[in-house]
Amino acid sequence: MKKQYPDAKLDMTPMIDVVFQLIIFFVTTVNLADKANETNVRMALAPNGPVEETKDPRTVTVDVIADGRIQIMKTTLSEGQLFTILNNARKTAGQSTPVVIRGDLTTKHEAIKRVMDLCGKAGLWKIRFAALKEKA
Amino acid sequence: MARKRRRPDPVGAELEMTPMIDVVFQLLIYFIVTIKPIDVITNLDVFRPAPDQNAKPDEKPPNLVRVGVYQDGYTVNDVPATPERLDEALAKVASIDAGQTIMITVSAVSEHGQLVKALNLCAKNGLKSLSVVSASN
Repeated sequence: MKKQYPDAKLDMTPMIDVVFQLIIFFVTTVNLADKANETNVRMALAPNGPVEETKDPRTVTVDVIADGRIQIMKTTLSEGQLFTILNNARKTAGQSTPVVIRGDLTTKHEAIKRVMDLCGKAGLWKIRFAALKEKA
Repeated sequence: MARKRRRPDPVGAELEMTPMIDVVFQLLIYFIVTIKPIDVITNLDVFRPAPDQNAKPDEKPPNLVRVGVYQDGYTVNDVPATPERLDEALAKVASIDAGQTIMITVSAVSEHGQLVKALNLCAKNGLKSLSVVSASN
């Protein structure tokens, strides 16, 4: 090409523009996906736990932080509020809606029990405990 | 594009790569610095018996393996056990029947990490039918 059109210049500007658009798109969307799963909870290690298969989109993730407070997406909830959420989840998504309890490794079982009891009261029976399979 | 002139002038066709590479390095450094490795999360399934069931806690069916999780350790069928001992016991149970129900009774004051550790050992030995019961003390 150089031999044929020695003066030809490749205009890079639109290409770089598009690349920046793509970068901005991926940076923003990746952060959004991470935000929902962000947590201060230090989970216990379970290296033998099953590999996470496709996640059920109905999953309700409840965090129980070290002092026993219940949180969903970093918002502290009272037992009544959690019950309302779980009850609504059961009404809209059915009884098999999975509830993932993400408990801090130092949380007393009492606090976990309260969440499990509320799940039972709301009619949700699919309870799972989140743990770290591999620490990054 | 530039068909009109055919001067052998390769200097004009030179593409300036330096600023582009500069920018790419900046981006590379930015992403390397800001990237946060994602932990691999696993979910341990448990079965939770209804809390209002009227079965008394002391009349367990004989085919259940009872694991206790306490603040200071574990028990297997009411015999105190170290985590290693618990692992051995669960391996033995799994070798006989992997579908065996393990009833895990958890003390209210024990730490959640201990329960997860016990569940991890159950998962390690392929035991899937896990029933978690909370003890009142």
